[in-house]
Amino acid sequence: MNSPAKQPVAGAPRDTELKDPTVPIWLIVVLFLLLFWGAVYFDDHGGWFEKQVYTPYVSADQLKDFQVGGGPNPFEQGRVIYSKTCFACHGANGMGQPGNVPPLVGSDWVNEPQPGRMIRIVLNGLQGTGLTIHGQPFNTGTAMVPWKSFSDEDIAAVITFVRGNPDFKNHAPPVTPEQVKAIRDKIEGTHPGSFSPAEIEAVNPAD
Amino acid sequence: MRYGPLVFLAAFFALAVSWFGMVYTPQIQLGGAVQETNSVISSDLYPSERPGLARQGLEVYRENGCFYCHSQQVSQKGTLVDLFLTDAGKTNMAVANALNEEHVGTGTFSGPGIAAGLPKAIARNLSMERAQSLAAILKNNGAKSEMHLVPIGADIERGWGVRRTVAEDFIADATVMPGSQRVGPDLANIGARSPDLNWQLVHLYNPKLVTADSPMPPYPFLFEEKKIGSHPSPDALRPVGKFAPRAGYEIVPKPEARALANYLVSLRADTPLYEAPLTPPPPPKAATNAPAATNAPAAK
Repeated sequence: MNSPAKQPVAGAPRDTELKDPTVPIWLIVVLFLLLFWGAVYFDDHGGWFEKQVYTPYVSADQLKDFQVGGGPNPFEQGRVIYSKTCFACHGANGMGQPGNVPPLVGSDWVNEPQPGRMIRIVLNGLQGTGLTIHGQPFNTGTAMVPWKSFSDEDIAAVITFVRGNPDFKNHAPPVTPEQVKAIRDKIEGTHPGSFSPAEIEAVNPAD
Repeated sequence: MRYGPLVFLAAFFALAVSWFGMVYTPQIQLGGAVQETNSVISSDLYPSERPGLARQGLEVYRENGCFYCHSQQVSQKGTLVDLFLTDAGKTNMAVANALNEEHVGTGTFSGPGIAAGLPKAIARNLSMERAQSLAAILKNNGAKSEMHLVPIGADIERGWGVRRTVAEDFIADATVMPGSQRVGPDLANIGARSPDLNWQLVHLYNPKLVTADSPMPPYPFLFEEKKIGSHPSPDALRPVGKFAPRAGYEIVPKPEARALANYLVSLRADTPLYEAPLTPPPPPKAATNAPAATNAPAAK
């Protein structure tokens, strides 16, 4: 028994229903291409949620390329490192602690034209008796620990800061990372431990 | 309510996602920002805390809805590089030839001429890649160069700032006022543009005293019209013409007006930062841009 509704109406188009209800394959391909393009664009321009990357910079690497505005100032870098690390023993004013931690203010070893001794002390530390500065004995009850984990740049910066700091009454020339690296390589194998004051005294500062 | 749990879950999910995206993630990303991380040039912390009066001024700024018409964010389209020659090395001829081969600048360089008047700009508005390759060429020829970064963009051309504004600029403020509309000019650097407190006060009392066709509404309620006592107040404004007070009266800023002016003067975001590098312009040689000595607006 046929219902009259199933009968095609005369004059109406026959194919009003979709033959194939699935999404055409070309549309899927186009959508995937768009998605891929979006991902590539995001990768190129998004900065990957790095908090310091803002337009017009697109990545942390590119931002690094633009760090040329006069460059970092080693003296000021050194001030920051000193105020985080060295001041705990040597004091914010560089005066140290009497009988315990030698002062950096006006010290002979600090103010030498060649920084060989100071670089060695910072790299490997200083420990032992027999240290006399400004006529005051220092038994270094608190040994100076080695700071060789710091980079050449950081050590050069902090030594530059201490040596050139007018507040410390020091006026010695700055130190380059290359000088630090040269001494670091030299003492790497030959003298791995802390220096004693006598050993530092025996060092040729230019070497 | 057949779909009650489903509706609840959907709403919860939608709110949770937006909370993650708009509150939690930015907090992870920027919440740890501290002042000291970012000083490239000097050891001074940036941004410094605003002085007390300026902090109160922030509240006045908020109360009066200044943020409806003023933004505090400078945009930046790009960063170009000016290449400065600082040392021509020993073989000037080689340096000049290398630069001529690269077609740098408009003219040609001559061996003896290149070492004159250093440091000098040999090329401006370069892309970073081009500047780096030129710097490498100069280095190979024994010369030294320096790159000067020049941020560009519409806001910077208008004089609204020297670099883009970044999150770091706002971390000293408890309520940040980045604004969203620009009926008036951007105020991110108003303290650098108009550092004169009296100018700010006069402008707040009636902007038309400063700019005849300013669309900014006047804020006379931040000021008091006082009868002049035995001595005129030292900080009274002296508006002229139709803005002048009645005879025997003077216009004295209320504490709110003073706070707001101090806040505006404290607004400046022109320190070079790691995330917004720029080469600051050289300090002015002579004090030619001293603020006006009088607190009266210029007669028109």
